[in-house]
Amino acid sequence: MLKMHNLSKIYRTDEVETIALNNVNIEINSGEFVAIMGPSGCGKSTLLNIIGMLDNPSEGDYLFFDENVARYSEAKLANIRKRHIGFIFQSFNLIDELTVAENIELALLYHDIAASERRDRVAAVMDKVGIAHRAKHMPSQLSGGQQQRVAVARAVVGNQSMILADEPTGNLDSAHGQEVMEMLQGLNEEGTTIVMVTHSPAHADYARRTINLFDGQVVTENLRAA
Amino acid sequence: MFSNYVSVALRNLVKNKLYSAINIIGLAIGLAACILITLFVRDELSYDQFWTKADRLYRLNTTFSIPGREPFVTVVSPGPSKGALERFFAQEIDKVVRLQSLTPVIEIGNALYTDEMIFADPTASDVLDFDVVAGDMKAVLTDNASIALSEKMAHKYFGDQPAVGKVMTITNYNLKRDYRVAAVFRDLPHNTVLAIEMVAMIDENDWHDQAFLFDSWFSVNNTVLFTLKPGVDISSVTSRFDAFADNSIEMPAELTGGKGASAFVQFGTTKLVDAQLHPAGLGEMKPTGNIATVIIFASIAGLILVIACINFMNLATAKSTQRAREVALRKVLGAGRGQLIVQFIGESVLIALIGLVAGIVIVEAALPFYGEFIGRDLSFDYTDGMTLAILAGLVATVGVVGGVYPAIILSGFRPAWVLKANKSAETSGSAALRSGLVIFQFAVSIALIVGTSGVYGQLKYATTMDPGYTKDNMFVLHRINRKGAEERRDALKAEIQRLPGVVSATFSGDTPGSSDENNTSVEIPGQENTGTILIGVQDVDHDFFKTYQIPIIAGRDYDRQYAGDSEPSVEGLKEGDVVNSNIIVNESVLNRLGFGTPEEALGKVFMIGRGNGVKNALTIVGVVPDVHFQSLKTVKRPEMYALDADNYGNLTVRFTGDPKALVSGVENIWRSLVTGVPISYEFVDEALAEEFDQEEATATMLALFAGLAVFVACLGLYGLAAFTAERRTKEIGIRKVMGATVTDIVRLLLWQFSKPVIIANLIAWPVAVWGMLSWLENFPYRMEAWVLGPLCLIAGLIALGIAWATVGGNAAQVARANPIKALRYE
Ligand SMILES: Nc1ncnc2c1ncn2[C@@H]1O[C@H](COP(=O)(O)OP(=O)(O)O)[C@@H](O)[C@H]1O
Ligand SMILES: [Mg+2]
Repeated sequence: MLKMHNLSKIYRTDEVETIALNNVNIEINSGEFVAIMGPSGCGKSTLLNIIGMLDNPSEGDYLFFDENVARYSEAKLANIRKRHIGFIFQSFNLIDELTVAENIELALLYHDIAASERRDRVAAVMDKVGIAHRAKHMPSQLSGGQQQRVAVARAVVGNQSMILADEPTGNLDSAHGQEVMEMLQGLNEEGTTIVMVTHSPAHADYARRTINLFDGQVVTENLRAA
Repeated sequence: MFSNYVSVALRNLVKNKLYSAINIIGLAIGLAACILITLFVRDELSYDQFWTKADRLYRLNTTFSIPGREPFVTVVSPGPSKGALERFFAQEIDKVVRLQSLTPVIEIGNALYTDEMIFADPTASDVLDFDVVAGDMKAVLTDNASIALSEKMAHKYFGDQPAVGKVMTITNYNLKRDYRVAAVFRDLPHNTVLAIEMVAMIDENDWHDQAFLFDSWFSVNNTVLFTLKPGVDISSVTSRFDAFADNSIEMPAELTGGKGASAFVQFGTTKLVDAQLHPAGLGEMKPTGNIATVIIFASIAGLILVIACINFMNLATAKSTQRAREVALRKVLGAGRGQLIVQFIGESVLIALIGLVAGIVIVEAALPFYGEFIGRDLSFDYTDGMTLAILAGLVATVGVVGGVYPAIILSGFRPAWVLKANKSAETSGSAALRSGLVIFQFAVSIALIVGTSGVYGQLKYATTMDPGYTKDNMFVLHRINRKGAEERRDALKAEIQRLPGVVSATFSGDTPGSSDENNTSVEIPGQENTGTILIGVQDVDHDFFKTYQIPIIAGRDYDRQYAGDSEPSVEGLKEGDVVNSNIIVNESVLNRLGFGTPEEALGKVFMIGRGNGVKNALTIVGVVPDVHFQSLKTVKRPEMYALDADNYGNLTVRFTGDPKALVSGVENIWRSLVTGVPISYEFVDEALAEEFDQEEATATMLALFAGLAVFVACLGLYGLAAFTAERRTKEIGIRKVMGATVTDIVRLLLWQFSKPVIIANLIAWPVAVWGMLSWLENFPYRMEAWVLGPLCLIAGLIALGIAWATVGGNAAQVARANPIKALRYE
């Protein structure tokens, strides 16, 4: 599904130059569940953002379905992204001024989808993650676990083939964290590719493969027997 | 404590540069506009306050109510009214003075001038005050060969030499006399409705040939001022004006049908200090203002300031998130809500103070242009207590009005919540209030745009209105009835007609742009008892209709082959004699006299009096449409066009080709034929346009201040957009992650700010349309009301366009930002 070849990301500010990713080579196949681990500041989020086409690499190639998107413009990336990739963030990133249903619908809003179909799909996915009864609530009225379920629903409502989750359980207690992991596992079993950053070895165990990053470089890749 | 507040306030101002700049610039402009308008308003209110007897100084107004037409309302009065007032109101009125303004030809050595001079009764120096700098005013007012000059005129005629003792040869009508300058007085201040540059004494014996000046009740041309005796209430005079008219005026019985004179002539009075702002009729010595304009501009000043205050409130609350931590910490450290409110209001007063200083800089820079524009020498006097009080009041009002709401909001933050959640503690209430205030700002701006364009629309309509004749390529030569020109008038006309480019030339009594009225009473033979019918008279020449290109809709034009077309002489005739002649009338005459259609009216006869009981039977030979021959501002009236060679004062020339060549040709002819009369001419289209100079100036001023209001509102919108986008970065980031493009985001942000503008339109339109419709009522001829529709639409689009331009740049910048930045730290 995607392949990174000698990929680097360098942040340049006025004085400092930070090498966030250094010659990374990774391949992820469709249907995989991959965990990315490593100490804080090692470049996990940067890697996930580049996979998610929220950012361009400074050097190297990024093949997405055999298409080298490394130097694509923002608009082109946005177009690929919205069709294939869903995001889940540590801090949920729901829009405070919109209801649960509207937040989920957001992922369909920028596709050419009729309002009635949007409504149906939002309703279906809310059922699936078990928050249908909260449809009209505002995010601030929900617990963290519920908010993250809304975020999961939003990530999959567009039938995205890949979900990128940046520490999705980082702000949750263990029971709610577990719930979210099971949801992700379920999605993976239905065929969704999942790439997840986590600090929790237990949660990393849900993944079939773990990539360990250190100082912007891939140090080990562990494969867990199925 | 206090210094801590001030330093926090100043540090905040420096830290939030955009916020400070918008507030200070907005307030500076708002305050500057306010100060400029206040200067204008105060000046308008100061008119004629400086006379020592201002509190009991009144002007007599005269209205002629002529059956069947609009009353003729004037601020001037008949000559005999002076003596009559003195007799009838001997108990109430102290002194009466007539000011008769004439425009003579003045010879000083070889130099010729035509300037306005005032003939005044000797009481002038009792009623008014002249600040005499040389000579003796009393001497002027008791000697009919002396004259007093203002310093300005003295300088004009005699330069730096002392004027007193100099001789000026002055010709008024057929009175040519050497006047000795006996006094020089300081120029009257500009804030008076009286225009007095030269004064000579009225000696009625000089004017027996011009009975209409001082001796006729039916001619109004004197500005009549009177002072009440101390302690007398003006109502004891006004309540008896009808009795005064009945008692003083002898009306010809055939006119009144037995009624008293007060049925036809009504007197009224205006306190002189009110004359500038409450114009009562025609005949002012100079253009006046009016109270409506003053109120409109005062309101606009207030609105601009309110718009600036709203910016202040909106930006302060929009930015409150940033201050929430400071508030929370101060509260944790023991600050009470009251203290915080005082602190925040203090900050806004500080900003208002800085805005005021900047505003005063703007005022000082703008004052020379502004003064020139409104034609007055305005100055800003910092030592004047009233001025300082107004400024202090403005700062306090702006500071408190702008500051109180943000202060209440900010001081109300609950520390626990703010510190724990570390996020915007904004209530939805303050966001709603903000958009409400933005709606208000834009509603005001849009209404002002509609108002301004409406005023321009009417101006355009009035100045391009078809007067009923072709006003282009016509040129009017005045003063051809002056001694020295009158004798040569036929030669003058003949020579001018020979100039290349001259199509035709014709004499007339009046000309376009003038507002004199001449009416005569008319009867239809056999229907003598139908009451008075008064009809306007224009004295014209052969070729008048041809020159003005007024079509004859029935009958024929005057023709030299018919001797009966000319008004016959009545010399040597006696009471009861009747002369006959032909007449051309306009359509309104037919309606007034019941003569049916233009064709049916041909051959019909009506009678006019020619003095001494001699009557003139007039047979209608031609009918023309109603035209605005003189003023575009007055209503069309029934008018007859008499072929009367005795009353020509002007020569109208229709030409083709280069106007400059024509002017120089005419000037040459005038110089070669006329002695002792300076030439005076104008182009007809310009003369008509000049009638609207004042409206034009008002429109420009309105446009200027409307523009300022819009600008200040946009400043606020810009700041609001910037702060809102700042607050919305997370939302925008999320939307972008979800696939929103830059365009989607820009559209979203624009829509957020379009909504209030659109709602503002819906509020502004009805208000503006209502206002414009009532304003248009002032004009007898007005643009069609439906034009306001498109004007509203255009104003709305302009406002929307300006809002978009204001918000768009910021929106695009925000929309382009990489979303991960916004989502990284939460
Ligand atoms: N926009 C940026 N500008 C500059 N440096 C950045 C930026 N984003 C991340 N970095 C730096 O890149 C490195 C990797 O960051 P990140 O990918 O967020 O780490 P992780 O998610 O593994 O904690 C860090 O040193 C971080 O400071
Ligand atoms: Mg990270």
